[in-house]
Amino acid sequence: MRIILVFSAILMSSVSLSAQAELYVTIVQGLGGEPTFEENFHTQSQTIAEASASLTDADKITFFNGDDATRENLLRHFSTQSAIMDVDDRAAIYLIGHGGFDGEEYKFNIPGIDITTDDILNVMDSFPGQNHFLLNTSSTSGALLEPLANENRILVTATRNGNEKNATFFGEYFVEALSSEDADLNKNNNISIEEAFGFAQRQVEEYFESQGQLATEHPELTGNGAAQFTIARINQVAISTENPRIAELQEQNLEIDRQIESLQLRRTELSNEDYIEQLQALILQSARINEEIDQLTRE
Amino acid sequence: MNAVLNKSMNHLAPLVAYGAIIYSAFLFAAQTQAREHLLGALDNETLLNCENLYWSGQSLEANACYLSIVRTVNPPEIQAEAMWALGDLYTADELLEQAAQLSPDNAMVLVRTGELYNRTFQYQDAYNFFNQALALEPDNAWAHIGAAEALSSGNNGEEINAHMEAAQSHFAAPSGARLRSMIMSINSVMERDIYDEARNMLDQAWDLVEDEGLPSMQLNALEAALAFVTRRTDEVQHYIDAALEEAPPYGDAYAIPGYFASITRRYSESGEFYQKAVEIEPNSWNAHLELGQNYLRLNQIDAGIRHIEISYEGDGFNPKTLNMMRLLDTFTENFVDLTFPNPPEGDGIPELVLRLDRNEVDVLTPYAQELAESSMAVFEERYNFPAKEPVIVEIFPNHEDFVVRSIGMPGVGILGVTFGYLFAMDSPTGHPNETYHWGTTLWHEMAHVYTVEASEHGVPRWYSEGISVYEEWNTGPIPGIKIPGYVLNFMAEGAFLPVAELDDGFMRPTYDEQVIVSYMQAGLIFQFISEEYGHDKIIDMLYQFVEGTDEVTAIETALNISDSEFDRHFKQYVDIQFGPLLNNLPIWQQDLQTTLQEFDAGNWEEAIAAADRAIFTFPDYVEQDSPYIAKALAHSQLEQDDLKFETLETFWQLGGYSARALKELADEYIARGQKTEAIKVFRDVHYADPFDETTHGKLGDIYIELDQPAAALQEYLVGLALNPLDQATANYRIASAYKALNEPAQSMGYLMTALDIAPQFRPAQQLLLELSRTEN
Repeated sequence: MRIILVFSAILMSSVSLSAQAELYVTIVQGLGGEPTFEENFHTQSQTIAEASASLTDADKITFFNGDDATRENLLRHFSTQSAIMDVDDRAAIYLIGHGGFDGEEYKFNIPGIDITTDDILNVMDSFPGQNHFLLNTSSTSGALLEPLANENRILVTATRNGNEKNATFFGEYFVEALSSEDADLNKNNNISIEEAFGFAQRQVEEYFESQGQLATEHPELTGNGAAQFTIARINQVAISTENPRIAELQEQNLEIDRQIESLQLRRTELSNEDYIEQLQALILQSARINEEIDQLTRE
Repeated sequence: MNAVLNKSMNHLAPLVAYGAIIYSAFLFAAQTQAREHLLGALDNETLLNCENLYWSGQSLEANACYLSIVRTVNPPEIQAEAMWALGDLYTADELLEQAAQLSPDNAMVLVRTGELYNRTFQYQDAYNFFNQALALEPDNAWAHIGAAEALSSGNNGEEINAHMEAAQSHFAAPSGARLRSMIMSINSVMERDIYDEARNMLDQAWDLVEDEGLPSMQLNALEAALAFVTRRTDEVQHYIDAALEEAPPYGDAYAIPGYFASITRRYSESGEFYQKAVEIEPNSWNAHLELGQNYLRLNQIDAGIRHIEISYEGDGFNPKTLNMMRLLDTFTENFVDLTFPNPPEGDGIPELVLRLDRNEVDVLTPYAQELAESSMAVFEERYNFPAKEPVIVEIFPNHEDFVVRSIGMPGVGILGVTFGYLFAMDSPTGHPNETYHWGTTLWHEMAHVYTVEASEHGVPRWYSEGISVYEEWNTGPIPGIKIPGYVLNFMAEGAFLPVAELDDGFMRPTYDEQVIVSYMQAGLIFQFISEEYGHDKIIDMLYQFVEGTDEVTAIETALNISDSEFDRHFKQYVDIQFGPLLNNLPIWQQDLQTTLQEFDAGNWEEAIAAADRAIFTFPDYVEQDSPYIAKALAHSQLEQDDLKFETLETFWQLGGYSARALKELADEYIARGQKTEAIKVFRDVHYADPFDETTHGKLGDIYIELDQPAAALQEYLVGLALNPLDQATANYRIASAYKALNEPAQSMGYLMTALDIAPQFRPAQQLLLELSRTEN
């Protein structure tokens, strides 16, 4: 069944896409083979869909599962999507399921004919612009890293190569990150690809360590821009519609955030002392604003 | 065809590859190398003339003599001996191969090839050559001795004995071979501390030497060693002098007593012997290695490195040397020393040195320091012995590095080794599972420091180990008598040794588990002495070892009973303490097994019932497979939170140390507002698993809540050192601790790091506001 998800729009406290840019999310739930896997993959896919709903319009989130998740349907969907995408737009593809690598070709398992490395490469290449994102949680998914390598493409795989064939845990932890405060390392209420990856990678390591087992999967992240690519929001704060002063302060805070981001990008141009001084001044402003918002909210 | 001498790196290696040209260049610079006396194994007069020149101290003449053998027409096996004596082992190997091809029925060529391989630590190849020789001459005594020596690198007692018997008993065995066989036997009994038997065997060997006119320097060296280990120190030099008078270049006159000083843990004296050995025989590469290792044990690192490097330059065959060289790279680059107190008090000499890996120093330092200092205070008082030198604690993250540092070779399952005032041990990162409690290991090794030094290195192995285990149980970080389940089986079978033989359980175990069984027996012996006679008697006995008193005499003197009487009383004690349990051992083990089976099957109620039965039989059992853990987890599955909590609490109070279980308990205490108990549990967790950033964060938070910011700061700093994923929170926590300590500048530094990572981090923003208002 193909599902178009509808969720309410939420304040974006930090905007990664340009004002007109759109985010297109495609979630493909592959074959589970066993009921436990089916259930896990479905839960993970649903969670991703829900997280994505805070970032983009519902009609730009597409979820393939069951009999609909065929190669033909997927390729048609991506063909249509690439045709309507602008160069500023970004695509996020989530492949949640099993995969296999025969030493030459990687395949992601879906009903009917599997999608292959070449299919995925052609889809990614078809998108206009750059910094598109692909997550593949299957075993052997690391086999995609080399053929899809491109520094302007963000790839996250559950394994580091095609030889890690055991069913993976990475996807479960990656999805957990989408709603975890622990994963929000910069405390901006957004979860970036980099944050989700770091969280999941650490969890995978800890899992194998706690079991006293050698790790059978080593997740990989390649490509630029993973820190700036937001894939979920937590503790969302809506712009106040009731108190104009609070709304004004929230807007001011967003502006300060942009100034901090700009300052951080110019860090190497400044002495450490100047940088810290300017950063401190901006954050103090933000802190005072937040304090006032809290006070007004309490009133 | 010969096996090829293996040598991973050596300056002689090109000789084989480039043949005659370099061969000549080598001969120009060749110097006679140390090797064992032939004792009549070969009868070539030209060769024996060279050998006599060497052993009489005419080294230049000997050198020329060996060179003349090489440069003139001689059988290849004799040229091989000359090349061997000149230090070119590769060419010696090639020449022996030629000799074997020319004289395939000459067993002695194969024997000497085997000897060459024994000397280059390739024991399997050596053994094969000796066997080939024995196929030609089944009674060849030299081949039997060589085979026994090759086998002695492994664990083949029966086969070694058979070869030794064959070498000694055959009527036609050459007298030199019989002497060599006797010397090996004397070494063996001395290594087992059976000095009376060594004395008898030496007397027999002297008879043989005198009757047959054989060289006596090896016997004199062994006499010196025996005099040393039996504390007849004024006789040692006499025997060494006698050996050197007969054979001036015989460095082993010192090295043999040095070896026995080393294995009896008298490293300082061992170093002195080896130093003289290398002065007499500068090409004794093994003596350089042993000397280097001794210097390292005595914390004279630079001198140790120098001699190990000399050994490596001279003999790249020795795997111990290779291992030590690899270790030194790690040791010199990765380790840092921290001294305490800092700055030193009084005479300016620190009391404690922690030598830790750079990557672990920030995590381990506070806990290792606390544990080391508290254990030193405890042992100083309990054994009336203040440390006279700084105690050095080395903690290795890599287990194999630690083992090589301790005994020169990897692949041994030890956790800590004490050399005197210095001990080395595994870091918890060397054991990535829950079975290793590093805090207990540190406590155990520190007890050794005091027993070894108080007895001036005279304490028997079992006595020192027993006290260390006894201290683990009575004063250590997790007190309580802890005996592994499998040891109980051996106790039930009556496997404990008589006290007079207990050292054998450590030094010469006859079954896999015997070392651990002996540890437990030794610990229980001191538990028994302490309870029946008082702790002071343990101290009285300890100080008797200063004078070289044996354990039987020490028991008789201190406790006024014979050792057999002591054994009888001890058995009664064990029967009283453990009899009911040992009688019900099969039932307990069945209940334990049922607990785990039912748990694995998800039958929570049945698992709890079986665990309760196992706990009823043996309530103190808190090892990793303790029924308390399964019971707590089963209660958790049934959402019986109070029962889970009570089970974990009992487990902890009895000395349970499973880090995962304790972390659960600490969280329960936090949830119940029992912060003081939570602190105690978290601190116990540190001695099992200090590398969990979450634990440090939670503990720091409790300290902050209890207004103990200094303690919180320590935990937070350790948490940051663990490089947590959430750097913003880690830095913020430190900032808040510094703020509480009224150190605003420090606080601001960490705070801005946190806010640089996470500008919208609200608690950090709030702290920034507070700091800025304080400034204003």
